[in-house]
Amino acid sequence: MEHQKTPMLELRDIHKSFGDVEVLKGISAEIDKGELLTFVGPSGCGKTTLLRIVGGFTPLNSGQVILDGEDIGALPPNMRNTKMVFQSYALFPHMTVAKNIGFGLKLKKWPRNKIDSRVEELLSLVHMEGLGDRTIDRISGGQQQRVALARALALEPKVLLLDEPLSNLDANLRVVMREEIRNIQERIGITTIFVTHDQYEAMSISDRLLVLNDGVIQQIGSPVEIYEQPANEFIAGFVGYVNFLEGKIESIDKEMKIKYVSTAYGNLELNHNQGDDEQKYDEILLVIRPETLSLSADQAGKQANTFHGVIESFMYAGSLVKYTVKVEDREMIVDQYNPKDATKFQRGDKITITVPRTTHALKK
Amino acid sequence: MAEAVISGATGKGLWYKVRSFLGIHLINIFAGALFTLLAIFLLYPIFSILIMSLRGDEGFTLEFYKEFFSYNFYYWSLFNTLILGTVTMVILVVVGFCFAYLTTRGPFWIRKPLKIVALLPLAAPPYIFAISLITLLGRNGFINNLLNLNFNIYSWTGVIAAQCLAFLPLSFMMIENVLNSLNPSLEETASDMGASEFRIIRSITIPLSAPGLLKAALLVFVMTIAEFGNPAILGGRTPFLAPDTYLAITGEGDFNMASVLSVILIAPCVLIFILHNYVLKGKGYTTIVGKPTAVEYKEIAPGIKIPFMVVAFTVGLLVLSSFGVILLGSFVKIVGVDNTFVIDHVLNTQSNIAIWNSIKVSLCAGLFGAIVGTLLAYVIMRGKFPGRQFMEMIALSGFALPGTVIGVGYIIAFNRPPFLLTGTIWIIILNCVFRFVAVGVEAGISKLHQISIEIEEASADLGADFLTIFFRIVLPIMFSAFVVGFIYTFMTTMMSLSSVIFLVTPGFDLASVYIYLTAQLGELGLASATTMKVIAIVAVSIGILKVIAKKTGLDVSKKQGA
Ligand SMILES: Nc1ncnc2c1ncn2[C@@H]1O[C@H](COP(=O)(O)OP(=O)(O)OP(=O)(O)O)[C@@H](O)[C@H]1O
Ligand SMILES: [Mg+2]
Repeated sequence: MEHQKTPMLELRDIHKSFGDVEVLKGISAEIDKGELLTFVGPSGCGKTTLLRIVGGFTPLNSGQVILDGEDIGALPPNMRNTKMVFQSYALFPHMTVAKNIGFGLKLKKWPRNKIDSRVEELLSLVHMEGLGDRTIDRISGGQQQRVALARALALEPKVLLLDEPLSNLDANLRVVMREEIRNIQERIGITTIFVTHDQYEAMSISDRLLVLNDGVIQQIGSPVEIYEQPANEFIAGFVGYVNFLEGKIESIDKEMKIKYVSTAYGNLELNHNQGDDEQKYDEILLVIRPETLSLSADQAGKQANTFHGVIESFMYAGSLVKYTVKVEDREMIVDQYNPKDATKFQRGDKITITVPRTTHALKK
Repeated sequence: MAEAVISGATGKGLWYKVRSFLGIHLINIFAGALFTLLAIFLLYPIFSILIMSLRGDEGFTLEFYKEFFSYNFYYWSLFNTLILGTVTMVILVVVGFCFAYLTTRGPFWIRKPLKIVALLPLAAPPYIFAISLITLLGRNGFINNLLNLNFNIYSWTGVIAAQCLAFLPLSFMMIENVLNSLNPSLEETASDMGASEFRIIRSITIPLSAPGLLKAALLVFVMTIAEFGNPAILGGRTPFLAPDTYLAITGEGDFNMASVLSVILIAPCVLIFILHNYVLKGKGYTTIVGKPTAVEYKEIAPGIKIPFMVVAFTVGLLVLSSFGVILLGSFVKIVGVDNTFVIDHVLNTQSNIAIWNSIKVSLCAGLFGAIVGTLLAYVIMRGKFPGRQFMEMIALSGFALPGTVIGVGYIIAFNRPPFLLTGTIWIIILNCVFRFVAVGVEAGISKLHQISIEIEEASADLGADFLTIFFRIVLPIMFSAFVVGFIYTFMTTMMSLSSVIFLVTPGFDLASVYIYLTAQLGELGLASATTMKVIAIVAVSIGILKVIAKKTGLDVSKKQGA
């Protein structure tokens, strides 16, 4: 998806404390028009707080919230052009589906017939044609979710805010609604912030992720960047499993774009990219994803980028086999995807692990 | 915090300023106003009693308390009241347990009917049993005549019997709740290990439900010692605190002594409140709110079943026959003596005027009670000012304090400026509003618990300012709580006697007062007919409450009071 360059929403150095506890310690970020950005991070890291600051429900201590060039930091929610879908949906129990969706329009004094046609339009956008007259307690959880979404979209906000919108749904419905939200979002091109603590949900729905921990942004980036080039150990460990391995850069061959790394279990030749800020004798931490490793039957000689090990245990999970390999004094996890003819190793087999040259390295 | 930002309004100018001012401060304005009302109509009367009990001609004195404890009469009155409370409490815990055991563990066919019978007294004022007992066993009583007995119902026996029947629902509901929330697998395990049923009850059921039973016992105790009607009508020459307080004022005009008696009446309530909130807190093995589990029916051993059933059926029969006697008494000249059908009792003008007055007063009290209750609930739940708990406590105290005491407090507090209300209909209405406001508050609070604060935030998000949110969202959602508060206050006011009897002026009778006076004079036909009309009105009210409970999940129809 192509984004225009002007940021729709800009957060500048946002600070927020509850009593003595500083929950947000200077958050700055830009969100492009039409982009879906996810706030993700462990429970209690301040995602909801940050989202509520954008929506105007929580006052901030310092910093600015710039919406489309205008500082809205001091405005109450009813005067901001951002709309929120609440975790509990917060549908008005004494109103019908259509009344809920049309509530904001009515407050804006839209004429009756315009409200009706807009509500119809939104009902069909969220695939709930003909259910406008239902009361809230007579529609399913997934449908309530859709109504909440439609209600937030009715006023065509500049930014849509979603706080864990899927957490009240069961697992299957969660996936369906996730795709549906993404579809609608892309179709109408609305700038959206999505909060979740589920890293897989975040990876699969977002244009970019904003990973929050300890009150600071750990990294902002596309799912690919977050996964393949994590900025630090926290990010690396946050999405998916990692074998961390300490090493030291022995030398760098700028011409061949290679760095030579020594580790406790053998030497590695890894890619050195032009921009990388790496020096000879740097201590580094290798981020080795289990699925990037390959296994082969033990070979006598020692080749580049290989470690020798013994299969300690394995777990057969259909599409993949997860091996735990003992390499000298430590264990490494290796995922082998499961083509029919691949060799399957047994407990106690002596094997060789090959580490790819593309392995990501973090500076220590 | 939310309130601070959910404010502002669209548009400019004066109206905009007013709206944003209200948006920020309305809740605090409400809080201030409500607190003032609570202070005037609950704290001030109680405070006045305390002052009055301590103030002689030359300022502070303990002379009235000394007098209380030196006069044989008052000393006995206190003693009798405590004995009455204790005996009623013991009987009702046993009877309540028998009923509750059968409705939770007994055969299915028996559960529903027993439950209905046990709850039936809720539909009538407590003093219905005084009237029916007099009809049956009074000097001219049906049974006395029939069997040629010379039984005197104006005695301890009569008072205790009437009290037990009147407070059966309270005891039953609390004990049933306790038994329902006991995990049935505990009893099943014990039985699996070979314990006999009697042994299970003794060593599992009762010990596990002991804290709950104790709470039920304490509540019964407090309610019975505070009850005015039954001891006043049936007490005869035996002194009891609540009627004596009334006599001190109407008979002797002794406000100081009435105040001392009131303070003595409050003391057990306060004591038990403290016990309940601080000592017993968290002592329960079972939570009263625990999910009720339907116990599979298992044949109860005859050694248990038969005595339990005998107790339950006897008491149940008494309840039913009391209602029957009231119905019969309304339509015949004198039950058992002259059984000719008459319609005069029912058509009696004075009775109907009293009923009509009661309806008017109750409607007003209901309306104001519901408004005050709903607003109080909102302010307590959504306000951000200190002292909210204290406010809630005062609001709920009206319910816990004996009606007699609040009645005394009102005549002392409001018979002089700045709040000269004595003799007006307003003093009665306000008295009932603030005595029963607790239920509206609780209904409102539980409704607000059901709706998350996010609903209000969502409306702000969609462009509504505080006033719009309050009128368009909060009030409509709380409407069912409002209706519950209204009907509850309405029906308890209809039945209430203990407090209003101090406040009515001659010539303006309320139904309850009229029933009391006619019963005193032995005009049982008129008393019965009027009671029957009150029951009919209350029954309709309960019906409406039940429908609301079913529709909205708000259930306060099981509160005892009046
Ligand atoms: N109103 C409040 N008063 C005091 N502390 C608060 C308040 N709201 C949030 N906090 C604290 O701020 C921190 C961040 O809370 P927040 O709700 O933003 O976390 P979150 O990332 O959304 O977590 P979750 O994934 O569990 O929803 C938490 O430690 C929380 O306890
Ligand atoms: Mg959250």
